[in-house]
Amino acid sequence: MTPPRSFAVFAVVFAVVFAITYVIAVEKNYALFTYHPATNEFGGGVEQPKDGPAMYWYGWLATSAIVAFIAGALAAALPQGLARRIWSGWSWAVPVCVMVAFCYILRQYFLR
Amino acid sequence: MNTTTVLLIVHGLLAVALLGAITHQTVSVWAPARKPAGSFVGRFRSVAGASYANAIIVLYVLTFTLGSIIYPEYRLEARVVVEQMSLWPQIGAFELKEHFVSVGLGVLPAYWYFWRQPLAAEHARTRALLTAMLAFIVWWNFLVGHILNNIRGFGS
Repeated sequence: MTPPRSFAVFAVVFAVVFAITYVIAVEKNYALFTYHPATNEFGGGVEQPKDGPAMYWYGWLATSAIVAFIAGALAAALPQGLARRIWSGWSWAVPVCVMVAFCYILRQYFLR
Repeated sequence: MNTTTVLLIVHGLLAVALLGAITHQTVSVWAPARKPAGSFVGRFRSVAGASYANAIIVLYVLTFTLGSIIYPEYRLEARVVVEQMSLWPQIGAFELKEHFVSVGLGVLPAYWYFWRQPLAAEHARTRALLTAMLAFIVWWNFLVGHILNNIRGFGS
């Protein structure tokens, strides 16, 4: 299977935007939906816990995937000359930085 | 044995397969064998890394999906107890597991693209670093999952 050349741009931008959107979604709680495991209910957007904990992780993933897909699709439509300037290394560099950021964000768990 | 326990065991077995595949690929890309290998370590290093890429993606997605299905059970049954035991580093490690695996999911399209055949020499560095990053995520998640399962897993 040979993907079109624009797929490289899509994939790199998707990786970058997904990671950045995800860390923002976690920090600001931009969950597309909320899951209440105790009652097995879903709710649109961010909902307060009811009858047990609320889970936002699935919603953060959905938010990140949608934003990253749109950004990737837009980037894939860029003229080839412009798209060729996108460094493929962003696909690992930004996600690694986001992982380090999570270590910093969650440091209190390890410093108690 | 309930459904969650069965899924947890399958999740663990898939994780073992994923761990083996990504470790093979990482070693083959960072320390490739230069001559025909005779020893166990040499053979371990001399695998064709590209042939592992699709299997790694499938295993990653399957392991992730099963983990997502059993995650609510952890949230309801295990995490509360671990909090009561004040095992904060272990909870933090699991939080990192959750976020690392999500970040890893986002790089899979790029990982697939840069590992497709024929391998592009100009993307060798990107390919190696994406693989190392995924290997770190898989190892971290495997070990943390194992530790949490020991604290509050099957039969507890």
